[in-house]
Amino acid sequence: MLLTRRAVLAGAASAWVGPAAQAGPVIDAHAHLYHRSRSTWREDDGKLIDAADKLGIEQLCCSILPPSRPATPEAFRECNAWVADAMARFPGRILGYCHVNPGYTRESLEEIRRTVEDRGFIGIKIYNEYFANEPVLFPLVELAIQLRVPILHHAGHVSWLPGPQPRISDGGHLADLARRYPEALLICAHICGGGDWEWTLKALRPAKTVFLDTSGSVTDDGVIEAAVAHLGADRLLFACDSSLTASVGRLRGAQISGTDRAKILGGNMSRILARRGAR
Amino acid sequence: MIDVNAYLGPFAFRRLRDRTAPALLRRMDRAGIARACVSSAAAITYRNAQAGNEEVFEDVKGHGDRFIPFAVLNPAYAGWREDLAICHERFGMRGVRLYPRWHNYRLTSPECRALVAEAARHGMVLSIPLRVEDRRQQSWLVDVPDVDKEEIAALVADAPEARFILVNGSGYLASRLGRPGLPANYVMDIALLSVELANEAGALLRVLGPDRLVFGTGIPFHYPEPALVKLELLDVSSDVKEKIRRGNAARWL
Repeated sequence: MLLTRRAVLAGAASAWVGPAAQAGPVIDAHAHLYHRSRSTWREDDGKLIDAADKLGIEQLCCSILPPSRPATPEAFRECNAWVADAMARFPGRILGYCHVNPGYTRESLEEIRRTVEDRGFIGIKIYNEYFANEPVLFPLVELAIQLRVPILHHAGHVSWLPGPQPRISDGGHLADLARRYPEALLICAHICGGGDWEWTLKALRPAKTVFLDTSGSVTDDGVIEAAVAHLGADRLLFACDSSLTASVGRLRGAQISGTDRAKILGGNMSRILARRGAR
Repeated sequence: MIDVNAYLGPFAFRRLRDRTAPALLRRMDRAGIARACVSSAAAITYRNAQAGNEEVFEDVKGHGDRFIPFAVLNPAYAGWREDLAICHERFGMRGVRLYPRWHNYRLTSPECRALVAEAARHGMVLSIPLRVEDRRQQSWLVDVPDVDKEEIAALVADAPEARFILVNGSGYLASRLGRPGLPANYVMDIALLSVELANEAGALLRVLGPDRLVFGTGIPFHYPEPALVKLELLDVSSDVKEKIRRGNAARWL
């Protein structure tokens, strides 16, 4: 018997923990497709979609980052074109973040406007070239506010790093940016892949307008419940950042209400996506 | 289901909510875990690890049907032979967990090799957690890297009489541990293995066969559900899943 994707998703969604979760969408708010310098990119993108199917993840908000950093305008434009291509290949399934390097202000602003207004991208992805509260980001944040799209910002608070990231932002940088721009939709990336998550939760607690994505490979018990306790379920976004089983498992295991789970799994991200459509 | 990767007691750098025996048992019940190999989380940072073993011995009393106690021993610390004998004979412990990076010795050192031989002589399994925490989130007080897989490979090759359970590891395929050639005297838990995208678990099953992966979660450090999701998503026969879920560990223990 041929199973449709919708049927597979419906079956997988039943593995979430209750009817409340099934009532809403499941959206991965932080995903990546593969850079096409990788010979297996097409097959690997297919594996991502396949795994998402099996786990009941209906939409993936994706960016592609150049492997060589800091990203040049040519490199981020190329990546964004590939994301646009994936959005066309998987309509409604792949949603695109526009990745830029804020150091190239004019090129970044042009690219954001072009991808969001002409190509239907849903947000902006910023990596680690600058701290989130440096003035070089301000023009991008102002454009994001104007376009009503979120900024997903790479983040981590670490004592030790395996590789050099001298300007990695943490929750404190994002909280500072949120104080300057309270109307901005800011998403702090990967609470489960960004070092000391207890520090991050406490740093973000007073920054009421900053969302937090739950992605990452770390499966520390209690992290989701602690995030709900510190920030509230309304500020949390289910995400995987390529660690699908870890991220799905954390949400399945978290001892939270069905209502909170539904908000985290996709309800909150749906509200963010609706902001752009509600202009 | 047998979980080869579980702990009791407090950890120095983060509160573990289900660190007591009753709480861990409730967590195991919710996850469908029948039995778990448990050792002291406190002993990871105690100077005298035997104090943690004494605590675990008290904690598991009356729960012999659920907990399989493992000792934490440091071969670079005074008195390990006596401690090993007590853990084996008086405490009924079935295995020994080694933390070479936290306890500051090499797996290939003569004293560690002696401990491994002594444990094997008692029929005890050697468990090596490759990591306790993700290095990015370690306290500013410590900088403890993962255990080097080539060091483990050297030990398992040098101690074919011993049986090893490697837990909280990944990236085996890039080391000798993920290739044929070493004695088949070690198994690896799935706690941190990928089953999607890179699918390291699937590759290890292809390369080493269906008898070398075991179920492990890392509770109460970790949620158990990620390991359950991995098992669910793994694209293998139900027979192989049953080996991972229980059979391989039961044979090893």
